[in-house]
Amino acid sequence: MDQWEYKPAQDLDISGAERLRSVKRESGLLGFLARTTWWFWVHTILRLTERIQVEGRTNLPASAPFLMIANHASHLDVLVLATALPLRLRNCVFPLAAGDTFFETPPVAAFAAGMLNALPMWRKNCGHHAIEALRQRLVSEPCGYILFPEGTRSRTGQMSSFRAGVGMLVAGTAVPVIPCHLRGTFEAMPPQTKWPRSTNITLKIGGGCRFEDISNERNGWRMIAERLEQEVRALGGPA
Amino acid sequence: MEASSKARLWGWNTALDSAFVRGFLLSLGIILIAVPLILWLLKLARGSNAERQRELWARYWSWLIFIPLMIGPVLLGAGWTIAAVSVMSILCYREFARAIGLFRHRAISLFVVLGISGITFAIADHWYGFFVALTPLTIACIAAVAILEDQPKGYIQRVALGIFAFLLFGVCFGHLGYFANDGNFRAMLLWLVACVELNDIFAYIVGKTLGRKKLAPNTSPNKTVAGAVGAVILTTAVAAALGKLVFQNTEVDTPVRLILLGLILSVSGQLGDLTLSSIKRDLGIKDWAATFPGHGGLLDRFNSLIFASPAVFHLVGYFQGIGLDQMPRIITHG
Repeated sequence: MDQWEYKPAQDLDISGAERLRSVKRESGLLGFLARTTWWFWVHTILRLTERIQVEGRTNLPASAPFLMIANHASHLDVLVLATALPLRLRNCVFPLAAGDTFFETPPVAAFAAGMLNALPMWRKNCGHHAIEALRQRLVSEPCGYILFPEGTRSRTGQMSSFRAGVGMLVAGTAVPVIPCHLRGTFEAMPPQTKWPRSTNITLKIGGGCRFEDISNERNGWRMIAERLEQEVRALGGPA
Repeated sequence: MEASSKARLWGWNTALDSAFVRGFLLSLGIILIAVPLILWLLKLARGSNAERQRELWARYWSWLIFIPLMIGPVLLGAGWTIAAVSVMSILCYREFARAIGLFRHRAISLFVVLGISGITFAIADHWYGFFVALTPLTIACIAAVAILEDQPKGYIQRVALGIFAFLLFGVCFGHLGYFANDGNFRAMLLWLVACVELNDIFAYIVGKTLGRKKLAPNTSPNKTVAGAVGAVILTTAVAAALGKLVFQNTEVDTPVRLILLGLILSVSGQLGDLTLSSIKRDLGIKDWAATFPGHGGLLDRFNSLIFASPAVFHLVGYFQGIGLDQMPRIITHG
């Protein structure tokens, strides 16, 4: 018989605002119930207000860990991607959100952490150790990330080049990356607007890519970002 | 629901009817005013030991927050008391589950919380039969729901920890709430909580002053044999003396029974503290949570009440019964 093994919450020694901003944050029953309710309503409202078409659901992974990436043009993107996931995957997914937008003020951080289950990714002054902590979590526990490798929402609706950060998360690991392409979210809710309007949204989910053989260093990260950018552009079809 | 039950549950205007409650509040007020003066005088007399002063002041401020949170619901009525104990039980379970990792097994956590909610309902209803029945029923539910994960590896550990948590935070803490079904609940609860806290303070002071031999150095390195024995002697004396006022003209009101009550309270209080310390050492953590900076979590504060509540409840129940003067099943038969 194996010895008993206790695994305390990784964020046991932190509390309050610091805990909300921590990439070690783990939630329990209350967080699970809050998020289940939140995603139920988001799913219902999106179905009522937008005409969403999802292609390639069979490409979704059967289990965690995984990294889901897409082009980014609207706050709706993360909602459309998360609601496309089956419940068992949605319960363990963390959208990676801009720290300076979603984790600066406590009320917004509470919403991002409590409802979206988001983890912060700091765009400025972000050292390797911050992404390394995210990478470690992705490889050591059954969880998934949603990431927009452009780093910010497109102001024109056109996709820009991917940053190397996505490569830092998965280079040399067996974690599958699921490329996705979103069309219509910019028209539904461009960055300048506060409320979405009803329109057609298409989400195309591509086949998973693995980067086990890519070295975890600058060149490798760049190669991964370029490859994934090509995959997403290919899913989007000719401009 | 009868008017007397409503008055017990929500009748805040009867809070000061008991002479013991009035005396207790007056004494507490005097102590809370005197402590800053004593701290100030100590600083003047001994010169400034800044770190020690800071620690003592931090403790004082934390007590200023804890005391109203603990006493407020008791004064407001039995309904508020039962609700406060229920919230405390769930928050303590949350700390425990996060520390041992049980929080990742949400189905088990859900049934522990449902068990605690059931206990709360049984207490509010004053339905002792259901209060007792919930122990085997919840244990069965936890064991059954753990099967749903379909992962036999670790099954015993998950189920055992879930049951252990429910027994500690649902059943043991539930006894604290069940006191609220007695007509004399305010005096009994204030007496119990005050004596348990004094027990900790006596152990600390006597241990610091006379303590040489460690009580259980691997479990709780700061506790000494002298502290434990001193706390038993002093708490028994204080609990018996104050108990004389709380249990006046009842079956408990004999010297032997009051001393026995004080003795049981002190020993069970210290055992609760040591039990929770043992679990912390096993886990390799210092505090249960970081909820109160410098003071840990709720469990670090309320650990001594875990065993003292059922021990005192059943001893008082054995001598005179608890809640026998009140209507039972006020919701289900009300």
